[in-house]
Amino acid sequence: MLTVNDLHASYGAIKALHGVSLEVEEGELVALLGTNGAGKSTTLKSISGVLRPLAGTVRFLGDEITGRKPEAIVKKGLSLVPEGRDIFGSLTVAENLRLGAFSSYERNRYQEDLEEQFALFPILKERFNQPGGQLSGGEQQQLAIARALMSRPKLLMLDEPSLGLSPALVDQIFALIETLRDRGTTILLVEQNAERALEIADRAYVLKNGLIKFSGTPQQLESELDLASVYFGGEEGMGEVTV
Amino acid sequence: MSVLERILNGAPGRFTVVALAALLLVGAVLVNAFAPFVWVGIYTYFCVTLMLVLGLELFMGNSGILNWTYIGFVGIGAYSASILSTDPSLKHMGVPNMYPALVNLHLPVVPALLVGALVAAAVAAVIAWPLMRLSDAVGVITLFATLIVIHVLMTQWDNVTNGPRTFFGVQQFTTIWIATGAAILTLVGTHLFRESSLGLRLRASRDDRFAASAMGVSVVRVRYLTFILSSFVAGLGGGLWAHYITSFSPTSFYVGELFVLLTMLVVGGAGSISGAATGAIIITVLREGLRQVESYLNNSGVISFEVYGLTEVVMAMLLIAMLIWRPTGIVGGSEWRLPLRRKQAAAAPSPEPPAEPVLETEAAEEAK
Repeated sequence: MLTVNDLHASYGAIKALHGVSLEVEEGELVALLGTNGAGKSTTLKSISGVLRPLAGTVRFLGDEITGRKPEAIVKKGLSLVPEGRDIFGSLTVAENLRLGAFSSYERNRYQEDLEEQFALFPILKERFNQPGGQLSGGEQQQLAIARALMSRPKLLMLDEPSLGLSPALVDQIFALIETLRDRGTTILLVEQNAERALEIADRAYVLKNGLIKFSGTPQQLESELDLASVYFGGEEGMGEVTV
Repeated sequence: MSVLERILNGAPGRFTVVALAALLLVGAVLVNAFAPFVWVGIYTYFCVTLMLVLGLELFMGNSGILNWTYIGFVGIGAYSASILSTDPSLKHMGVPNMYPALVNLHLPVVPALLVGALVAAAVAAVIAWPLMRLSDAVGVITLFATLIVIHVLMTQWDNVTNGPRTFFGVQQFTTIWIATGAAILTLVGTHLFRESSLGLRLRASRDDRFAASAMGVSVVRVRYLTFILSSFVAGLGGGLWAHYITSFSPTSFYVGELFVLLTMLVVGGAGSISGAATGAIIITVLREGLRQVESYLNNSGVISFEVYGLTEVVMAMLLIAMLIWRPTGIVGGSEWRLPLRRKQAAAAPSPEPPAEPVLETEAAEEAK
């Protein structure tokens, strides 16, 4: 479904990706793991068109989408839930959700999709006319995911959905991701919380200094790699400054 | 659902718009029937000003970008409409150097006003094409520089504008009814725009440009289209203003007048239609009041020297005070609500404290 081949990206002079390749098949939940600065978010930004990659290709549903505008990529069915719950604080919950629906705007579908989000996220129905900025952290994360779902994405990319949430809310968010997977949504999940991510993932990639260091099933990852080494160093080159 | 229910339960701001429109109409009827003649003039002027403030809010409030050139487009609309509607013989007298082709152009007032607005929108379309691609400080400075360019053109191009001298002989067309009607139409128009898909996408880009583009919003495009729309309102308002004032010069379309509009927006609150309207009402009342005080002080001999510029000083202090203590304005970013609805919203407290304190987000918005 999604094929990323030899992706290079940089922020000005600082190179963040040195040839990332990964694949996501339809119906899969793939986790992309790695430390701070390993290039996880950069990978998602490059795929979604927010960041223009230097080299490499991104293919989605058979078409090359490398370097296309974000709005064109969203229209193709690839949605990103950005890091830090990028909801629109001064817009109401209703307006945030309406924005999500623009890429596939059909009025009759809108109401139907809205009902679906209410079923998944009952709190959003209660808060429907409140500004997004007045929602709690967990509610904002739910809104961010619901907003992405409004565009009926074929592939949903989640960037650190558990970041900065209390443990109880983290449970809630992971349960939700499982629900989405069980309903057949294809998901590419970026997480720092590797253990939790591996519990629900079908496959995983480990990113280190802008390169894929490992790919396989969670079981393989646990047997072949010491998770601690991924996160706290120990392997070759682990002590280097990460970009 | 009855019409009343739909007004009360619709999108935030629908109630405000209907209430304000009713208020304006009632105000016009009362002023016209009972108030002294001077008041009719003040009310007409207020309605035109309200239209101009709403046009400014249309772009500024929804995009968060300070639009210095706005008053320039008011001027372009005023000059274009006046040149078209004024009788050729009067123009020949009033503007001796005018291009013969322009002198001979003559249209009835209503088409002239529309053409004036279209000219302003067309100029905006050309200027904004590169300008809307600039961001933040660079963009704002360039908008300011553009206002200076427009002003220099108005003061120097005496074949068109009569240069720095007064352009006179314009018909008095804008009555209290026309001005009120225009203000109500603008009120409804700006509200519909806010709720439209274009307005919504623009507001999203104001909150967070990068998140908006990740959502599929083409930020440059929505800013560009709204800038043109806002300039159209500016041009139309400028034309109506000119056909009320009947004689004017380029100084009416420069920083001084822009600051009056900006003060209205800042005092009321730039984020909403309620804010723009509140600001326009307060500043108009205050300005008229201060003018009375000033002339009283000068004529009664209470003090031994003459007072000038009292209005400007008070306005400036008010602007500074608001920016320090209440940067979101009196209304504070959201629309007016019925007290009942506000209670309902407050009755559903969030189980957790918000991720960011509200004050912080407000400060962050101001910083943008």
